[in-house]
Amino acid sequence: MKKIIFALLAFAVCSSASIIGLDALGEEQVAGGMASTAGRGYAGGAKTGDAEGISVLNPARNAFDTKVVFNVNFLLEMVALEKHGDNFGVNNITMPSFNLSFPMGSFGAMGVALWQSYSSNIDEEVSEGNNSVETTIEYQSSIYEIVPNYTFRLPVIRNFSVGASAHVVMGNLTRRISMGPDTDELSSDDTWAVSRTEISDYVDGTWEIKHHPAYYTAALQYRGHQSSFYFSYTTPHTLLNKLDYNFRMSELDTLAPTKKSREIEVPALLAAGMNFRFMKRNNVMLDMAARGWDKDIENVGGSFNMDRSTETQKDMLVALGFQRDGSPLFYDPYLDRITYRLGGWYKTWYVKDVYELGGSLGAGFPLGRKGTTLDLSFQGGKRFADSGRAWEELFFGFRIGLMGVGTWGQNR
Amino acid sequence: MKKILFVFLTLLAFALSACIFDSDETVMAGWLSDQGIPSGYKVQTLSVGDLTPVSSEVFLDSAPKLANDRAVLGKTANISHDLVFDIAFYDSVFLADLQKSDSASAYLVLYTLKPFYSSKTFPADSLPLEEDLTLTVSWKLDKGPSKSFVDSIARISDSLWLSGLAKWKPDTSADTTVSLSISAKDTVLRIGIPSGLVSAMKGLTRACRLQLRLSAPEASRAYRFYGAGTAYYPKLWVTLPEDKTYSEYDPFRMAHIISNKETCTDCAVLHGGVYDSLVVEYESAPIMKALSDFYGDEFPYAESNGDDVRQTVVLAQMTFSRDDSQGTNELGLPIQVVVGSYVDKDGESERQMEAYKLNKKLIASKGHPNMVFYDGDSLTLQVTYGLRDFINRARDGRTFKMMMRLGYPVLQDKDSTYSDHTVGKDTSYVFFSHFDHARYDFSSSMKQPSTLKLWLANKRGDK
Repeated sequence: MKKIIFALLAFAVCSSASIIGLDALGEEQVAGGMASTAGRGYAGGAKTGDAEGISVLNPARNAFDTKVVFNVNFLLEMVALEKHGDNFGVNNITMPSFNLSFPMGSFGAMGVALWQSYSSNIDEEVSEGNNSVETTIEYQSSIYEIVPNYTFRLPVIRNFSVGASAHVVMGNLTRRISMGPDTDELSSDDTWAVSRTEISDYVDGTWEIKHHPAYYTAALQYRGHQSSFYFSYTTPHTLLNKLDYNFRMSELDTLAPTKKSREIEVPALLAAGMNFRFMKRNNVMLDMAARGWDKDIENVGGSFNMDRSTETQKDMLVALGFQRDGSPLFYDPYLDRITYRLGGWYKTWYVKDVYELGGSLGAGFPLGRKGTTLDLSFQGGKRFADSGRAWEELFFGFRIGLMGVGTWGQNR
Repeated sequence: MKKILFVFLTLLAFALSACIFDSDETVMAGWLSDQGIPSGYKVQTLSVGDLTPVSSEVFLDSAPKLANDRAVLGKTANISHDLVFDIAFYDSVFLADLQKSDSASAYLVLYTLKPFYSSKTFPADSLPLEEDLTLTVSWKLDKGPSKSFVDSIARISDSLWLSGLAKWKPDTSADTTVSLSISAKDTVLRIGIPSGLVSAMKGLTRACRLQLRLSAPEASRAYRFYGAGTAYYPKLWVTLPEDKTYSEYDPFRMAHIISNKETCTDCAVLHGGVYDSLVVEYESAPIMKALSDFYGDEFPYAESNGDDVRQTVVLAQMTFSRDDSQGTNELGLPIQVVVGSYVDKDGESERQMEAYKLNKKLIASKGHPNMVFYDGDSLTLQVTYGLRDFINRARDGRTFKMMMRLGYPVLQDKDSTYSDHTVGKDTSYVFFSHFDHARYDFSSSMKQPSTLKLWLANKRGDK
């Protein structure tokens, strides 16, 4: 397993996923990008249980946990971009989240997640026309959040829990567009001066929240015998992206950079979900989340004819899923111990006129008798784009999650 | 089994991606175009004429330098060249004989620099070089009691010794005349040591240190010799005719000290073979105005922190008028002009030597444009690093400053490799490996307007 994980990380260095919104925030990793959640179409934020772990949208969920849960996720995504019948493909491997939660009995539960909430990734080379220098476009932007949470069950009405989390934002951004000269405006006597010259338009910067250490999520969870519900509210915040714009002839031959900052006002997020359990181990679930973007997002841009801003729209997710929980009894047949998942979702992106429709299939394979599970999910779908610059995307995702359940600190 | 299944699924996913989502570069180029990213950065040229420097100043480093490899003595191009020999020895037996001698004498032997005078490049018709050379010999003589004294002299660092020579105060000095004739390729120059020094050496008993300086400020030219660190090192011979014996002492290091004899203090004169430089400074306004007129934007850049990255200089060259009649040289070869610019490094202005990009078509037809003592009446120097930095940081009102100096003589003026290279089994030399002690007066060039040509890469969008 270690070797496979290292191999995946090695592949992750040269990657690209969705390239819609590349110049704004990039692609959102919905619901923490967990393989188990993705397998049921991003639904199931209200589903409790030791095999669920932390939900970044519902910090009240793990109040009902009785065991320590460790969870790490990987994503391989292949995307085909298409416009007017032309298409090209890119792919990406990334680690969208890493979660750890500790139940503390009467004292509630706490946990922490490392979540790559948005990312822009592309690293492609293009040979064009008679230019001897290849054009390279590279974006590496990650908005990471460290999300500590605390939750507890209410004293009298024990079926309810409340939870809160803080999202400490960090991350960095690098954009490099390297290209050769366009000598159309030079006389033939002057082209010698620029032959074999490559210049990189270079931007790098950092992500943080403006004037505040974090933004916050608060949630209320109800766990019934068959039905569970949650509702959460995430505060609005302003992302601050400090950027240095530069021209680079080489790593050691650069200009002094122009410094700029862009501020992205992220509106409040409302999320809610329900889970209905029937026939003991079967669950249907429905989740919704919405964020009302009302201002355009200033782009990294700054060069050539790139757009200065990205128009936004209401960002909404509707997810419907089914899960048949695997048997917890190790002596049951292995096929019966596997958790099966199925789901679909509809999502409007924060980028204007971009809609996503997807479906997924997943399974959780128990490894041994200790509660460790390998979650796999396959996703497919399409991102419809109706704007001039964004291309439609057909995507195929493969997620792997490793879930460990233990009783650390509980033994006496 | 599970691992095998997992690996299989992973490989299957990659295979699917390769089959289904095959990248097409033409399509990718279309996507780049849709994002507003061109296929290449736009390059335009801009010429800024009628530039005259606000200052042009010559700096000459006259600090003593080591001459252990090559040594120069004499005067040429209004620069006089002195040599200093550092000799230390322990020889109680010979010094005892020297004390008793009535007819002791001494002389210094220097070997002329064979690779220079025997080179095909050296104008053969100028040989033999003959001159009655008037020399001033000055010295400092220190007695020592033992071998440890000699060791202590050897431990004095070269830099400390050289800095001490800048304030040379000899014990005494004397003039002597040498009949010099360099007619063969391996000529030896024998210089008689004044009797005063021989007498002073008679007072030695065990060890001594002799610092001997030769000056020839009235020489008609500069002569080149091997230095103390070569196989043909100079030798000091002390002979005792009555005993038919002698002793030979070798300098363990040598120094070269120059003196500037130029009378025109305001002239922009450069010399070959010495550490001097001409620093030329241009004001910002004409260049900023030309950029502003060209792009229609404000220059210098006034937004953000003021560092301008809207465009960058891919190449820049400054063209000066040139009048070779104001210069003199020894070898009759064209001489390259080496260029540097002053750029900002961590807030400090620092000189950076410029790169030289080859315009092969021009070089093949007209030769390198960065040479003096050559056909034509202009001198074109590339100042890319300097202009790149200057335009990038012009907000602070800085001037553009460049530096030039005379480099090596050029053997192949139309060779576009611009470096020594192998042709078959032979080496093709582009430069002569000895400096020409030339003199070039740039004063008239500095008074004439020069032209700056810029190749600019632009990342502005279409307006």
